[in-house]
Amino acid sequence: MSEFVQVAKVSDVTSAGKLILEVEDRMVVLLHINEQFFCIDDVCTHDGGPLGEGELCGYELACPRHGAKFDVRNGAALTMPATEATVVHEVKIEGNHLFVRINEG
Amino acid sequence: MMETTTSLSFTKDGFEAFTASRDEPGWLTDLRHAAWKKYAELSWPARNDEEWIRTDIRQFKLDRYSLSLEPPKPETTATALLREGVELGGDCTSLDSLKIHSFVADRWAEKGVIFGGFDDVVRSHGDVLQPYLLRRAVNPNYDKFAALHAAFMTGGAILYVPRGVVVDEPFYALSALTDGGADFGHTLVILEDGAEATMLSETASEDTVGGGLHCGAIELILNPRSHLRYVNLQNWGSHVWHFAHQKAVVDRDASLQWTIAAMGAKLAKVNQHVSMIGEGANCQVNGVMFTEDKQHLSYHTLQHHQAPSCRSDFLYKAGLQDKSRTVWRGMIKVDPIAQRTDGYQRNDNLLLSTNARADSIPGLEIEADDVRCTHGSTSGRVDDELVFYARCRGYTRKEAIQMIVTGFFQKVFDRITIDSVRDALGMAIARRVREYE
Repeated sequence: MSEFVQVAKVSDVTSAGKLILEVEDRMVVLLHINEQFFCIDDVCTHDGGPLGEGELCGYELACPRHGAKFDVRNGAALTMPATEATVVHEVKIEGNHLFVRINEG
Repeated sequence: MMETTTSLSFTKDGFEAFTASRDEPGWLTDLRHAAWKKYAELSWPARNDEEWIRTDIRQFKLDRYSLSLEPPKPETTATALLREGVELGGDCTSLDSLKIHSFVADRWAEKGVIFGGFDDVVRSHGDVLQPYLLRRAVNPNYDKFAALHAAFMTGGAILYVPRGVVVDEPFYALSALTDGGADFGHTLVILEDGAEATMLSETASEDTVGGGLHCGAIELILNPRSHLRYVNLQNWGSHVWHFAHQKAVVDRDASLQWTIAAMGAKLAKVNQHVSMIGEGANCQVNGVMFTEDKQHLSYHTLQHHQAPSCRSDFLYKAGLQDKSRTVWRGMIKVDPIAQRTDGYQRNDNLLLSTNARADSIPGLEIEADDVRCTHGSTSGRVDDELVFYARCRGYTRKEAIQMIVTGFFQKVFDRITIDSVRDALGMAIARRVREYE
């Protein structure tokens, strides 16, 4: 299992905001919702669309290409045309710093 | 102490130093300057650009690479697959775009055949190449990668066969990469009227899991009644970025058999075009792809019928394992003048794991009304009944899957008329097949 990697400061991600990052050879999107941080692959499982460029509504992130929605807490695909979950990565906060552990799954 | 520059970056200063270091014809220097200007004007491909929508290059960082100025090593340790046991008419090898050695057999040189490294031949036979180089086939203004290649092209090989000369021994070119190196090789093949030749071209890394950058081009020019068999095998290390523009122009009653094998690279984006510009031109393309780990290979093919009574036949077969992905987007384009066109394209994908993915998008754009154009695409997993059948007869699961994979590729192997190429590709694929439960 990979190690936690420091990726940003807490202040880098505004509330209800998101940040696209490259972590260990992978593009991910870091989200800040209700004082919690989440991290998922920046990849729509339908056709590889850039989820990080999509609209965030509550815990749902919509792919800008075809509107597939994903739950950022567990990666679950909520609407068509996506049927498979996107990968979720573990996030931890230490002081003012955010760390992500890449899930290779 | 004086500092010595050992590499050139892809910046304005790097470009100026690159052109200043080269002893080549003025027309080529002008071409490079025009390309650099275009490169500076163009943007990198946008993620919503249809051609790049399935290919994410955000992790590609051009400033991590540079062209080497160090004298090349005398040999490369990269493994060559295509030349084993083949009697060659000429041989040319480069490492990180720097020529290591080249030769052409006297019997062909005496007949006017020109073969050698790109940099040598543009200096010695610039007048022969000027009408062709980046003028008849590949468009250096197509996108930012094409312009970057045109500005910095170096390495690769050139073959010129004069009118009526039939060469019955293959020419061979190997472009090798060190880990982290850059290759800007340009391959140019020109067959004059009635000439015939075979060329085997191969790319490989010294480290099979090594990284690097290839930004290259292939141009094949077939004048009337000429015949070319061209093979190119892309076998870079598994962390190499591969960007290539490849185009053939086939004139009246000429024929091209083009075999493309792609097995290496972290990400490959290739535009492969064939234009049939003279009546009765004929081209057959045989594509073999095998991917593993997280490889991403994207091939965009165009078979462009620009004259009547031409035939094109593209068959691409891909085997995918692990979490790899292929994108194949093919187009048959038929101009209004191109009546009696016979065009065919097909892409078959065999998925060996549940996480592999193949996107296959064939297309037709027909403006003539007396044509036959067909296309097809299949994607599927290994049939468990076939595995069961083989295991009942004493084969292990891995052996069974290897047989099924070999059978899947057999149709395209049967079309390849060069035995050594068929054998090399078959063995390279068989070695890569993993065991799946």
